[in-house]
Amino acid sequence: MNKIAIIGFGGAGFCAAEEARRRDPKAVIDVYSDTDLGPYNPMLTTYYVKGAIPYDAMFPYGSLEEIREKLNLNIYTNRPVTGLDPANRTLRFADGSQAGYDNILISTGASAVAPPIPGMDLPGVLKMRTVKDAQELKQRLDSGAVKSGLVIGSSWVGIKVVEDLAVRDIPCTLIDGAPWMFYVAAFEESARRIQADLQHKGVSLSFNQMLERIEREDDGRLTAVTKSGDRFTADLIAVCIGVRTNTAFLKDSGVAMNRGVVVDKTMATNYPGVYAAGDCCEALDIQSGTHRNIGVWFNAQKQGRVAGANMTGGRMEFDANVLVNLAHYLDYDFISIGDVSACGPEDAVYEYEDARYYIRGVRNGGGVKCLNVIGSAESNGLLKNIFIKSIESPAAGIDIRSVCYLKDKGFPDSFIDFLGGKSVD
Amino acid sequence: MKHVFVFDADKCCACSACMMGCMDQNDIDLAAGEQCYRKTFDNEIELADGGVYCAYLSTACMHCTDAPCIDACPVGCLKKDPETGFTIYDNTNCIGCKSCAMACPFGAPRYRESDGKMVKCDGCNTRVKNGLQPACVRACTFGALTCVTEEEYRASGSDKACSALLDSLHLRRK
Repeated sequence: MNKIAIIGFGGAGFCAAEEARRRDPKAVIDVYSDTDLGPYNPMLTTYYVKGAIPYDAMFPYGSLEEIREKLNLNIYTNRPVTGLDPANRTLRFADGSQAGYDNILISTGASAVAPPIPGMDLPGVLKMRTVKDAQELKQRLDSGAVKSGLVIGSSWVGIKVVEDLAVRDIPCTLIDGAPWMFYVAAFEESARRIQADLQHKGVSLSFNQMLERIEREDDGRLTAVTKSGDRFTADLIAVCIGVRTNTAFLKDSGVAMNRGVVVDKTMATNYPGVYAAGDCCEALDIQSGTHRNIGVWFNAQKQGRVAGANMTGGRMEFDANVLVNLAHYLDYDFISIGDVSACGPEDAVYEYEDARYYIRGVRNGGGVKCLNVIGSAESNGLLKNIFIKSIESPAAGIDIRSVCYLKDKGFPDSFIDFLGGKSVD
Repeated sequence: MKHVFVFDADKCCACSACMMGCMDQNDIDLAAGEQCYRKTFDNEIELADGGVYCAYLSTACMHCTDAPCIDACPVGCLKKDPETGFTIYDNTNCIGCKSCAMACPFGAPRYRESDGKMVKCDGCNTRVKNGLQPACVRACTFGALTCVTEEEYRASGSDKACSALLDSLHLRRK
């Protein structure tokens, strides 16, 4: 009988359990979680704060009890795994006990990074990742006591916290250590437009601001002091500077690691029978040919299913992994596809702007390297697919249906040419 | 019994009767900014060899076997109907994040301006379950759009071309 352990129970862990159970009704599946909550999507926390969804909607698979019954799982809550012996496929726990398995999935996710600076523990200084974080922020905002907010980090979460404040008409300032918005995904030209839109909507912005400390003022307000000496004061500070993989328990285990657990296309680690999936892993990025942590919900679920299949004797692969960042906030859409940091002065640049779109793309002889598009939300999947195909088959061009679609959506012929197709209509 | 849409481009003249059927069936209010779930195209496309292809197409949700929009939705709005095989949805908890559009290689999901929620072609699931044709199929007088059972589709041999398309787009469950 196949004995499976799943460490961490978010989207990847749940999908692995579901797929494993679908393929092997008799398998023993033990799930270890460091909380007593059901699997939830961290992306939904800011939507809960905004009031767009009720509390229960953060748990798209249902409660732990429902999941336990539906999938016949042994779920151990508040029982974090503290060590792993991958050669012997054995887990260790804080009380010194151990448990051996045939297959192990590491799906421990990631946590919000807290910079090691004074003042991070002051009341009113928050991170945003977990259900608990969301509950605290929502409670503070709903109380009416927050008259101003400061968001540190123009990350994908940071911009959603800005939205949470803006929809309540709470004056908000966004600062970041980078030179411009969405620095890891946006060209400077794209960022300038994004920033202008935010400022037009009343959000104050400041960049090149490295956080040094947070202080409490005599009146109870909070002040973020940056290394440049600037001071930003607000009733509430949300620190959203990024995430770190939850892999500390794997230190010295022998499991291959970079920023996350390194896996192949089958989600296998360097040890047989030990897999990883979701925000804690680094899968193969087809653009760079290297392993990269691309922590998005879609990847977590797909990777979980692949691991679940392969832990039960199946043969599935996770493929077409590319860097994609999507920001949707305050009626504004921005997408970046590909690696902006891989672009250089030797590459060809395409730029277009009208009332509907802003497009900036970079390509070389081998295909498109990075695309930034503002205003293209409904077409993003098509653009992503064209991007992936341009990597896999640089000379293939765009299929006729996609050309028709792009024209119908108002994209210019010059953009279609840039992507590899031609139109004379 | 699972169903599939079959489109024969040789019989389509992009007359848009399918769109009319779709809009009527789904009460789509164009004046309010809503979009039809089905879309026709009438374009001349220059090919790589210098020739010109006159494209007459009718497209909507492809109801992929391993539909990526289902995994992309953070709140679990989308799922497969086990009876018809269509990709259906309940957008009660839809947050309008557009993750489904990001996952869809065909641009099928639409966003309703009035409430910001996702809507899309559900294959006229209720009609099909009750033995009727989807509205777009019923409106197509040229026979370019049909909806058949999987068994009928396989028997026709058309599945080979569709399989190649799904493989090229990495949409097949391995």
